[in-house]
Amino acid sequence: MQDLTQLLLNGLSTGAVYALFALGYTLVFSVLGVINFAHGAVFTLGAYFTYFLIGGAAGANGLLAGLQLPFALPFWLALPLAGLGAAAVALLIERTAFAPLRQRNADPLLALITSLGAGVVLVNLIQLLVGAESYAIPTGALAGLPAAVRIGGAQVRSVQLLLLLVAAVLLTLLTLWIDGTRSGKGLRAVSEDPTTARLLGIPSDRMIQIAFGLSGFLAGIAGGLVGLSVSIAGPYFGIGYGLKGLGVLVLGGLGSVPGAVLGGLIIGLAEACVPADLSGYRDVVAYGFLFVVLLVRPQGLLGRVLPSKV
Amino acid sequence: MSATNTAPLLALERLSVRYGGVTALRSLDLVVHHGELVTLLGSNGAGKSTTLRAISQLVPAAAGTLRWNGGVINGLPTERTVKLGIAHCPEGRRARQSVADNLELGAWLRRDRNAIRRDLERCYSLFPRLAERRTQAAGSLSGGEQQMLAIGRALMAQPTLLMLDEPSLGLAPKLVAEVMGALSNLHADGLTILLVEQNAQAALDIADRGYVLEAGELSLEGSAAELLGNPALREAYLGTG
Repeated sequence: MQDLTQLLLNGLSTGAVYALFALGYTLVFSVLGVINFAHGAVFTLGAYFTYFLIGGAAGANGLLAGLQLPFALPFWLALPLAGLGAAAVALLIERTAFAPLRQRNADPLLALITSLGAGVVLVNLIQLLVGAESYAIPTGALAGLPAAVRIGGAQVRSVQLLLLLVAAVLLTLLTLWIDGTRSGKGLRAVSEDPTTARLLGIPSDRMIQIAFGLSGFLAGIAGGLVGLSVSIAGPYFGIGYGLKGLGVLVLGGLGSVPGAVLGGLIIGLAEACVPADLSGYRDVVAYGFLFVVLLVRPQGLLGRVLPSKV
Repeated sequence: MSATNTAPLLALERLSVRYGGVTALRSLDLVVHHGELVTLLGSNGAGKSTTLRAISQLVPAAAGTLRWNGGVINGLPTERTVKLGIAHCPEGRRARQSVADNLELGAWLRRDRNAIRRDLERCYSLFPRLAERRTQAAGSLSGGEQQMLAIGRALMAQPTLLMLDEPSLGLAPKLVAEVMGALSNLHADGLTILLVEQNAQAALDIADRGYVLEAGELSLEGSAAELLGNPALREAYLGTG
């Protein structure tokens, strides 16, 4: 029983990160119809932003060696600020890697290449500035919270609970926003048919920027939380998550918000079921699962059969 | 202000549109006065839809001037033309959301909630079939109902000019009459309408004036009565020699 609780919570908290990640992809995909391959780098930046905002110092191997901010914020303040910083970077990526192509009426698929390029630039920039070493966000950052709590006899790290909680709150807010607000409805309209949306007076450019900003915010928060949970493994830290997020996206169904959440939780749980001594096979389980589902449902779990678009 | 009062609501002056190297519209002169119902006729590929797309700035004008109340509107972003009061009913339809959500989306730019609710009810009284199906997904509607939905949604923006792209396309004759009847009523209430049609008879029956495009160029223009009596037009578009 206690093993099961442990396993469930491990799976759910990993899955929550995947869901946040996949939602960022989904937001951009729904308005532009392309994957933003720089998303993983934004997630990575969110982790570094959090690290520096809580007062962490840069290592010896980058241009910023030894740099430390003159203040140290508490984690609960640093995390949303890191999210905002990541959102700003995502907006910058939109302006540089996406908007110029759109203004020239280029094939949207070209944005795959430019966003991949933007991601590579960001990752290398991080390496140049702070080096390739790993950074640990001290768990002491969660001052006042015990390192672990007992739930149903299982030892659960507070970080994992926090991850679950934050993810749940953000996902709920996002869903409410999409369904209940004027901009959310505008975003949906642009995602269904950008031309018709413009003919209704909905500024598609602004909606695209909102989608990028939100996706960057979600990625930044996810990065900060994962950095706290397992430490920042280096500039390439986000890439593995980025690939997993893509798998989640395809599993849930491209462009579906509930699909991204469901897909994230399923892959997180599937991975948690892999015994610790076989943990090297986690990705096999995750992608194998994806493979089987796609054989049966090529459009993903909650995806619709894509209408042929001219 | 006096100058703008006498200017036509919409004026195209020697308007040309090119797609790549192909000229889709060549030097078109067209005016729509306040309160008029003007129809733009022609066969497939004559440049009718292109004209509407140019007015909505979905395609840039290669040459010529677009005037709204006398002022030049060339190069304005599409969403700003909606703010001016131009509602463009395209051929495509939004399928996933409900009828009510679709209609509300038409009022996206407006913030006057009470007036929006009133206009919603007006839409339902204009097209009672939509009222019966207000919670249904738009994609499940018949062709005629989707056309009514598209018109209703365009009206929700409180437009000064309603532009429609072949609302009779693919509809049974009875439904064509219903849609044209609704347009005629809106016209009688004072709405200015620019109606693109291939069904010349149905369009001229309700229009004040008409223009005929052929291969991107204006071939005929005149009052609806003149055009209905024109032998060349009768032969080409009305199927009666």
